[in-house]
Amino acid sequence: MNENSFAPKGRPEERIAPPSEAASREATSVGANISRLMDGEVEDGEFERCVADLKSPDAMRTWTCYHVIGDHLRGGYAMSAAFSRSLSQALAAEPTVLAPPPKRVGQPATFAWAVAATLAAVTVVGWTAFSMVEVPPTAVARARDAATVRAAQVKPTGEVPAEYLLAHQEYSPAFAIQGGGPYLRAATATAATPSAAPAAEPRK
Amino acid sequence: MMHTWGAPARRVSARLLVVAAVLASPAAYGQGYAAQWLTRVTQAARSLNYTGTVMVRQGARFDTFRLAHQFENGQESEKLLSLDGPAREIVRSATEVRYYFPDAKVVQIEPRSIRNVFPSLSPEQTANLAQYYEFKLSPGGRVAGRVTEMAVFEPRDGLRYAHRFWADPTTGLLLKSRLVNEKGEVIEEFAFNDVTVNAKIDKDMVKPSWTAVPDDWKVVQAGPGELVMNDTGWTVTKLPPGFIKISEGFRKLAGKRDPVTHLVFSDGLVAISVFVEPFTVTQTQVGLTQTGGLAQYSTRSDAFRVTVVGEAPPATVRQIAQSVSRKTPN
Repeated sequence: MNENSFAPKGRPEERIAPPSEAASREATSVGANISRLMDGEVEDGEFERCVADLKSPDAMRTWTCYHVIGDHLRGGYAMSAAFSRSLSQALAAEPTVLAPPPKRVGQPATFAWAVAATLAAVTVVGWTAFSMVEVPPTAVARARDAATVRAAQVKPTGEVPAEYLLAHQEYSPAFAIQGGGPYLRAATATAATPSAAPAAEPRK
Repeated sequence: MMHTWGAPARRVSARLLVVAAVLASPAAYGQGYAAQWLTRVTQAARSLNYTGTVMVRQGARFDTFRLAHQFENGQESEKLLSLDGPAREIVRSATEVRYYFPDAKVVQIEPRSIRNVFPSLSPEQTANLAQYYEFKLSPGGRVAGRVTEMAVFEPRDGLRYAHRFWADPTTGLLLKSRLVNEKGEVIEEFAFNDVTVNAKIDKDMVKPSWTAVPDDWKVVQAGPGELVMNDTGWTVTKLPPGFIKISEGFRKLAGKRDPVTHLVFSDGLVAISVFVEPFTVTQTQVGLTQTGGLAQYSTRSDAFRVTVVGEAPPATVRQIAQSVSRKTPN
């Protein structure tokens, strides 16, 4: 991930500002539920209601916003031009703007980080960040490997090619124990390009 | 288990609390405890009948599936149906796996059933698991309406990820899992939203939605071929500590004409695959890619292309990729 990422630092409890008093109770609860839904923490009885809540435009915006932030926290995809445009329009309408200069709209990756940083100021977002950033592993010898890990923080490009993933997936004990096991990965890997896995032509 | 220390511990001094904590630490479980826990949960995932809704988050991807799993006469049958994103249906029987893509009108048939190498950890892998991960078991709160126990595998170095598992203590079924990177971020997640364990699974629930493949669909016989075990002549000179070779051979890979060298290394919890194939001009891609917790690093080594794929931090995967070399003949 980017060195300049806004991924919170320090002790976990210091990372996230609590939701402000101004945030309406209802919005917070819907936001929290969306966050829990994304984290798979919604319980049986609540699931229907949480999904129903998503039908409101506001909730949908929150959902999208959380996913965009999540994607970029994890160094994921670039946003669609349409999304960037509408978001930059929304940002332009804001009084206290951290918005990037217009010329950067054409650079989704850079723009995205600025957007993520701006959105982070919105308190409700704290819920998402909190749910995605767990207490860091407290391993003893972490420092020793830190340099190597940093050295490898190359910005990942693309996805793991399906043919390698399919051949590899069966060997990992940690994934063999899931219901659906390695097929879940295969399902997502082949989703975008069903023909990629069985392709007769070599991949580019 | 750790939580049973709670009540008596309150009555003792702070110093004794420390002693109690040490006694309740992973060492007290014994070396094989983590492996035993994994084995039990693996067996449960295979040998129980269950159905439920599963959410999977892999990096930026987010998918929901309907899952039905049947175990009958020693055979597993399973059906996964995607509830969002592109339509997908995956049906696994004793002899094959079928991937249906209704939008593209493609069915991919894999003429084999993946047989997970687990649970068959060697004594060496069991020892590695204990040496390279700190194992902790504690109450895990509720998942999918069930009270869980949480198992944490905390890496003792920066070369691997942390794993958290939430299981149903009664049946052993895994209800949720998280892969956590060195920054504490969840990079891959699996969770049941709702689950029925020991459910009555009808045959239809684990059968494809199509009794026969429709005429206008494309049938693709594919998937990685079986591994033909052999000495490939390749080795990894800088293998991260704790990883041992669990498989080596040649296999057919989708989209590739010639068999590819495939070596697999495991630290008892995750696996790292090494693929070696002749370098061709069409394979220009080198460097790192990542899908959730899975990292891939490709590099060129003389006339060969080396590709390493595994559930480990990019640095670990890269280290292995850069130290793949021909064995020196004696």
